[in-house]
Amino acid sequence: MSELRVEGLTKRFGGLRVFHDIEFSLPPGALMGVIGPNGAGKTTLINVISGRQPPSGGRVFLGGRDVTGQPAHAISRLGVGRSFQQTNTFKGVSVRENIARAIRFGRRGIPQGLEQLMGQFGLIPRLDEQSDKLPYGSQKMLGLVMAYAAGPKVLLLDEPAAGLERSERDNVDLFVDHVRRVGGASVLIIEHDMDLIRRLCPRIIVLDAGEVLADGPPAAVLARPDVIAAYLGDTEDAA
Amino acid sequence: MFRKEPVLGGAEIAALVTMAAAFAIPMITKNVLVYSVLNQALVGIVAAQSVWIMLRMNLLSFATPAFMAIGGYTVAIAGRYEITDAFLMTALAFLLPALAAVPLGALVLRLRGTYFVLVTFVLSQIMQLLLFESESLTGGSNGIAGVPAVTLLGTEMMSNRQVLLFACGIAFLATVITALLTRYFRQHFAAIEENEILAESLGLVVWRYKAVGFVIAAGIAGLAGYSLVNMLLTAHPSSFSSESAVDFIAYTIIGGRGTILGPIVGTALLVYATNLFGTHGQYAQGLYGILILAVILAARGGIAGTAAAAFRRVRG
Repeated sequence: MSELRVEGLTKRFGGLRVFHDIEFSLPPGALMGVIGPNGAGKTTLINVISGRQPPSGGRVFLGGRDVTGQPAHAISRLGVGRSFQQTNTFKGVSVRENIARAIRFGRRGIPQGLEQLMGQFGLIPRLDEQSDKLPYGSQKMLGLVMAYAAGPKVLLLDEPAAGLERSERDNVDLFVDHVRRVGGASVLIIEHDMDLIRRLCPRIIVLDAGEVLADGPPAAVLARPDVIAAYLGDTEDAA
Repeated sequence: MFRKEPVLGGAEIAALVTMAAAFAIPMITKNVLVYSVLNQALVGIVAAQSVWIMLRMNLLSFATPAFMAIGGYTVAIAGRYEITDAFLMTALAFLLPALAAVPLGALVLRLRGTYFVLVTFVLSQIMQLLLFESESLTGGSNGIAGVPAVTLLGTEMMSNRQVLLFACGIAFLATVITALLTRYFRQHFAAIEENEILAESLGLVVWRYKAVGFVIAAGIAGLAGYSLVNMLLTAHPSSFSSESAVDFIAYTIIGGRGTILGPIVGTALLVYATNLFGTHGQYAQGLYGILILAVILAARGGIAGTAAAAFRRVRG
């Protein structure tokens, strides 16, 4: 079990400050939501924690170990998995091969309850279908299953419900519950679906213009006037 | 649910059988033209396999002639000291380019797309410069002529048939190495080709597999250089021009970049076509171009790739 902790995390692209001095910790098995308007730096935060992009400042710790600036494969092998906002699979090959690659590259063996998860998302009858021929929702769930198949201790989910139909969004709940309960992993979830955030997350942080605007339980955070002004009003309208 | 893959697939076995069948040709004919075309094709196949290994990771390399030159000149320089043992020379022609690829790979494998293409092309250009300017070692613009024939178990491989048999042996060895490498790392290479970012996020150490591929591809190119020098008994800079990389890439693309049969089929067709069209003087280049265009338009996956897809459709 590993705690994810970020201290003073900062990211700039040249003169553009994406986020600044972000601090939080995610204890083993915990679940935390990150919300904020488009451009607040949420996806870049996942990119930096997962090693896709180097930070401009600050530190990232996993289980007390400083993993700041390590490449994506190294951070993945230390147990930090991630999903992507868009559907992201190995397009030319079958569902079976996609999952097999995730298991092989993750090098932690077949994680507990993987087959059950595949069954819940209707992937087992489609194992031999080419992944990019699947419906959008199934491709999205395949991406999540692959992130789990690599055996993470901490899973960073980038808008897992984006583009899913309402009826499919329950699958995200099932997935997050499975990852924590069966896989024993902690989860950080970026999402615009506020119903989903309220349902799932005991704690959320709000990013606005690259700063942490609020941090705490959803009921308290979402009632704050500055959060409503910065983000929530628009999203509630859109939802 | 997750099946274990066989050591070699159907395409690899077909490639090895094809290359083994090439040994029969010197046994059934003494036609000098056939020998010449087959020799050119065997050198081309080995060079195209080097290109193909890198294309498995979506890296289009123009560095093949540079590594061919290292392999070829290694043999020619060793010949000056009357070192001609086939096994030793084969090992050196593979290992020296592979070793040279280690530091070069550290530089160029950070790059992707057009940047990688450009830098590998520049590597071949630099190699040309080195070959011309290092006269004491490489003979400069005169090259190294009179390279002694290779000796295999004490027998000098001097006759046309023996030279061709040796080229068959080199091509078979290169095919074995290519087949084992690309089969063993099939999932890794394919993942890098299809979605490098996803592969890395799942824990694949992408640079390591790219480096392994680059080093082995360099060794394979070195074997092609060895085979070429052994055929010509001369090592000359013009044999390793950076422009020749275009031919090796064309062989691979026309044959089909998705299967190991691609470099074999593409090289066989285009080398044969080059010799055929060569009898038509000034029209030769035009005819060659029309053939390449026709194949690209009719068979997007290359000849072997399109044939394999058709076979899969028929089989259901």
